[in-house]
Amino acid sequence: MAPDPTPVTEPFPISHIAGRYLLFDINAISHARRHHNICGVLIGTLPNLSQQNVFLGIPLELMPEEARVLVERGHAYIVDDVRAHRKGCLEMSRDERLKYLREMDRQGLEFAKGVREKAEERAERALREKGLVGRRGKEESEAPQESADAEGVSTSNSLLDSTPSTSPSVAVPEKKLEPHFITPTTSYPPLSPPSTDAALPLPSVPKSYPLFRYLNSRGYFAMPGLRFGCNYSVYPGDPLRFHSHFLATGLDWDEEFELLDIVGGGRLGTGVKKAYLIGGEDPEATPAEEEEQDGASAKPVRAFSIEWAGF
Amino acid sequence: MADEDEDLSHLRAPEAADIDLDEETQDFRFLDKLAHHDTSSLSLPKRGEKDFESHSTNLQLETLEASRQAMHRVLSIPRTHTQKNHILGMYHPETNMAYVEKVKTQHFLTIGRAKGGKEWLLPEEALFLIERGSMDCRWPVDLEDGEGAEVGAPMSLQGAYAAFIGFEGGVGGKLTLEMYTVYAGLKRSGYVVFRHGSWDDDRAPIQPLAQKEEEKPKTGYLSHFFAELWRRISTPSHIIPSQNLAFGPLIKPGLFRTYADIYRLLQIIPTHDRTSPPQFLLPSSSDNPFRLHFDVWKTAGSQRFRKAKRPSPDFRICVINARETSIPTGAQLNDLMATVPDDPPKGTGQIYQKLKHGRRNVILAVVDNGIPSYIRVADCPFSEEKVALCRKTTRGESLRSPIEKADDEGMLADALGFTFKLKKESKNETTGRSASGG
Repeated sequence: MAPDPTPVTEPFPISHIAGRYLLFDINAISHARRHHNICGVLIGTLPNLSQQNVFLGIPLELMPEEARVLVERGHAYIVDDVRAHRKGCLEMSRDERLKYLREMDRQGLEFAKGVREKAEERAERALREKGLVGRRGKEESEAPQESADAEGVSTSNSLLDSTPSTSPSVAVPEKKLEPHFITPTTSYPPLSPPSTDAALPLPSVPKSYPLFRYLNSRGYFAMPGLRFGCNYSVYPGDPLRFHSHFLATGLDWDEEFELLDIVGGGRLGTGVKKAYLIGGEDPEATPAEEEEQDGASAKPVRAFSIEWAGF
Repeated sequence: MADEDEDLSHLRAPEAADIDLDEETQDFRFLDKLAHHDTSSLSLPKRGEKDFESHSTNLQLETLEASRQAMHRVLSIPRTHTQKNHILGMYHPETNMAYVEKVKTQHFLTIGRAKGGKEWLLPEEALFLIERGSMDCRWPVDLEDGEGAEVGAPMSLQGAYAAFIGFEGGVGGKLTLEMYTVYAGLKRSGYVVFRHGSWDDDRAPIQPLAQKEEEKPKTGYLSHFFAELWRRISTPSHIIPSQNLAFGPLIKPGLFRTYADIYRLLQIIPTHDRTSPPQFLLPSSSDNPFRLHFDVWKTAGSQRFRKAKRPSPDFRICVINARETSIPTGAQLNDLMATVPDDPPKGTGQIYQKLKHGRRNVILAVVDNGIPSYIRVADCPFSEEKVALCRKTTRGESLRSPIEKADDEGMLADALGFTFKLKKESKNETTGRSASGG
């Protein structure tokens, strides 16, 4: 497997906003997916592809269970993003702001340069395909308006003009380039990444958490399961590549539940080519050895899968 | 019979219409091809092939790696604004809103409200515009230590979520991340979405019953008089007390002019009365989750939507957080239903259509950690549809009672007569024609 595009230093921050756990850093999102089986739910709109609901983008919403697993194992910590922004952005000093604006201007200029270069490349390629000389085409694509307005010469004329002009490829005056405005994805900078000392306590989780943690430690991926009437739909690997295998519902060890739940879950699961899975944590058992590394509270979990036999 | 059918159903290959792209995590490799060309005319890729389980072959690992990298690239697309298309927004911390001085794109046909020469954006509207890369929002500048004309620092996407969702509680707002998820999802599908009028209140006011169209007596006074006389003679003047039900026949020997009268006598189970004006059963409470949040309109092709003069909405949506809210009680549902307009089914449609439509309906958007499911809840007038009588008129259709049929299609009917139906977002219907603007 190829190495990460950009390595992430652990623990990485998880934004806590209005009671929800969000990830904004693309590297952290990829990292959690690759190394910790945490895929979360992308809830943001993709710029340029903002008229569809099939592919979504940043931010990534983590279930409280996912956030908790990451924090318990020391991979991440939780940051009060609301307070950080209130302090860092609403009360930003003038110097800081100007510095930040200059930096954004520089990035914007760089981006504009990139866009122009790409456009030139495209224009050149298109012209070459048509059998025209790239260099001449370049000049035309860059300054169509100037040539048309100032000299009154149509662009097609300048193309046919056979007199060698004076080095047209350097005709990109730097000052003509207008910087694009950029909306950054994360707030670092201008905010400095928060320190781990100010981390918030562990997220509170539903009673299905032990089952989630157990499945996660076994390399399974989980997504929210309301659509299938369960707590989690569980994947054997990255949901990008695999179909889910289980519809999991976490219960307490001694909890009584309706037998009809088994029938309903089993039938629904079988109908969508999955198995219904129930599981819970034994509160009286001693922690199993392999589980111990995950945290002192990890007790053994038993899980059962239910499938319609279909004789 | 029915059982056999059901067992067979999962053996069939899935039909094309059954495949819902939303249901599964999609392979971002398809988008990757598109992401390199930033043209505005992008079409969506087809569903990808997935594997059943890991077999650790190089092929599988490489495919997965390619998918992950494609996802990484697509998610890394920056939000940039050219000088020409730049919409500059300014954050206003006191109200947790944003304002735009110069309105340039069509987005503002269905977003924002003009006040004092500026276009004001509610938190969800501002956040959505920032997220889709259509607006460059700035943090406010402290005027005390600088000149007035200075530009503020750009608000990052992270900052926008922290502000518009996170600060919202501090200014007494009610927007939660779940509501925003629903708002943004509907906007992406092309619907027009505005806050319901009662947003700031604990619940919306009671909506009165719909006016019944007056039935004009077609016949003359004399025949009307006789008809009335017959009706009085033939309709039972009293309801049989329950202790008498154990004895004696429900239908006493007598003069019956129509079957309807006999059937009326057979109806001994009381039903919910929809002719009396609705009433709240619970006291008003600020933490009642079942209240209307959004009004939703389909984008009609030719008709231009005017945000200042909005027509009656096509759908009313109540956003529910699946992790904090349980299934509504009858009283909660009654109170929610009382706040949506009475919308009786029109004309003489088929009985099942009428039942499905219901008298009042609302859409519950149940959000489970960022994934919304839309459920339509309708107040189902079972007692108003005379099954036995229409058996005569529509023959082939009414061999089975509507209740049986409703059951088959996954509707649940309870004593109050509500139906629940999972609603598929009809996005294909609107996506193409929606106002794209940017």
